[in-house]
Amino acid sequence: MTLKRTLYALAALALLFGVWGVLVRLTTGHENAAYGSYVVWGLWVAMYLFFVGISAGAFMFATFDYLFNIPLFKGTGRAALWGALVTLAAGLLSIWFDLGHMERIWEVYLFRNPFSVMAQMVWGYTLFGAIALVSLILVIQSEKSAWLKPLMIVGLFLSVFLSGGVGALIGVQAARPYWHIGLFPAQFPVFSLASGAGLMLVVVGLFGATDDARRPQQLWVLGLTTVVLQLVKIYFLWADFSQSLYGGIPMNVAAVNEVMFGTYWWAFWILQIGLGTIVPLVVLVQPKLAKHNGWAGWMGVLVLVGFAVARANIVFPALTVPELEALRTAFNDPRLGYSYFPSLMEWAVTLGIVGLANTP
Amino acid sequence: MSNPATATVDRRTFLKSAGAAVAFVTALNTEPGRAVAAVDDRLAAPPSVEAKKGSDTLLRMQAELQRALQKKPGERRWVMVIDLRKCVGCSACTISCVAENKLPPGVVYRPVMEQEIGTYPNVTRTFLPKPCMQCDNPPCVPVCPVEATYKDENGVVVIDYDQCIGCRYCVTACPYAARTFDFGATYTRGTAEAEGVIVGQATADNYERAANFEYREAYARAGRDESPIGNVRKCHFCLHRLAEGMLPACTTTCIGRATFFGDANDTDSLVSELVASPNVMRLKEDLGTEPRVYYLT
Repeated sequence: MTLKRTLYALAALALLFGVWGVLVRLTTGHENAAYGSYVVWGLWVAMYLFFVGISAGAFMFATFDYLFNIPLFKGTGRAALWGALVTLAAGLLSIWFDLGHMERIWEVYLFRNPFSVMAQMVWGYTLFGAIALVSLILVIQSEKSAWLKPLMIVGLFLSVFLSGGVGALIGVQAARPYWHIGLFPAQFPVFSLASGAGLMLVVVGLFGATDDARRPQQLWVLGLTTVVLQLVKIYFLWADFSQSLYGGIPMNVAAVNEVMFGTYWWAFWILQIGLGTIVPLVVLVQPKLAKHNGWAGWMGVLVLVGFAVARANIVFPALTVPELEALRTAFNDPRLGYSYFPSLMEWAVTLGIVGLANTP
Repeated sequence: MSNPATATVDRRTFLKSAGAAVAFVTALNTEPGRAVAAVDDRLAAPPSVEAKKGSDTLLRMQAELQRALQKKPGERRWVMVIDLRKCVGCSACTISCVAENKLPPGVVYRPVMEQEIGTYPNVTRTFLPKPCMQCDNPPCVPVCPVEATYKDENGVVVIDYDQCIGCRYCVTACPYAARTFDFGATYTRGTAEAEGVIVGQATADNYERAANFEYREAYARAGRDESPIGNVRKCHFCLHRLAEGMLPACTTTCIGRATFFGDANDTDSLVSELVASPNVMRLKEDLGTEPRVYYLT
């Protein structure tokens, strides 16, 4: 109860900060944002990738309960579906604030370009959100509904394809070698599942039913799943970075170097690799710790923090490398630079969204 | 001593011009659509020029432009050629572009990139003006979720400001950094006000908020949420000038006559001659974007 109260208090504070951020955003547009025309995507885009990844992963875990009927996960589906909906809303809210013309979002439906991956994502997430919402309503009414399984099947396919689509959103961009990785659409569903596992560790570990005898076993399986997925994630990272460095394409090498040794090297080594990957790996391979509610729950938090930083490390570095080197000095303006750190308004809006997501 | 008759005519011409200017500014302060109509009424057709052998390249290109405009839009192929050996790096093209399109801070259509080669004191500098490449295979177009950016009938990549949602996906897709985002800033923000002493923020800002005429529309920067604020913007080869028979602003202001513009489908045009040169190159050709901006090296 103390943890819940503390969390609610923190969420309320974050929400309050967020209200200020949203007011600034709505009254001054993008003028108080730190991104520019070269580093054109910032924190909100990274958080969109982060939240929708968790959403798809959480839905995948909901299918363990409602589609595959795995006894161990019986009873966790509702929380997973709820998590999928809340994080999806957070992701879409985050990207909505990023638009230059928020009021024109409806145009994506009317003037849709079927060949734009972004348009495909908007349509896909609309359908996915509707499926998650209807599924949750059905679950709340009666878990025996005949519609639940078909919805879970479609939702599962969508969660995989939409995760892959997020990978394709940036992967199709040949202009930026750091992003132009053919396997991104294959890697992102794995990232989604891993972040979904992180969320489930938090939900079951920190907020699970205290009288559920299956809880330690659930945590142990979730912990092992997380360990395996973290190892796969490290392998993907190694594959991407080593090939980039070996290939030697200057833009690609510069972006990888920016991640590992650039201004925000600490975010990569300390937050993403250290706290977000190594620590959960070390803790969760130990059965005693992995089955412990607190340890497992907090490792879930660390996994999610690691993923949030990983998303930022996919979005920003590719943009901090000039398409043409001489552009750095071609025109002097704060918006035409190649460095980026989110502004107070951007942090406020993001924290507000996190607070809002934690309120339910 | 000046001829009194001539002086009278000059004064008259001056007064007419001043009157037109006042009317022009007044028109700018009215509704956007009316402003365009007013300007259209006042703009006389550009004089038809005959290019002679040895005449200034601007005169020749002007004549060729008139010829190209007689064709149907789909039959002409606008290209730009930039002779890097003639570019002196004065940035006049950048400034004229800013003035022509009333670009706000942070929005630039044609920066001039500079590179220093060698070690001091044995150094040389190169300059490379970089407008939008108007690619025939533009990576920015297919990514737009609302089809707000597309190649128009002239083959120029344009943006529909009223449809663009400002997602900036096209900015990330462009390999040439040719697109910038309009954050809504003005140059005159914070300008001091002192009534009766200096012309301050209000007047200066009023000018900045007045309409430009990109795409032959009047886009006044009236409010925070009104296009082109919140939109992605880019070079469009001054389509609004071309429609009036005028060369792009960057071409006419190039003091070194390093920028050439015209119809590459006209085999007698200057740009056709230039793109056939052996020393021609395009930026990042390996990406298959097929740029319409050629450089002579």
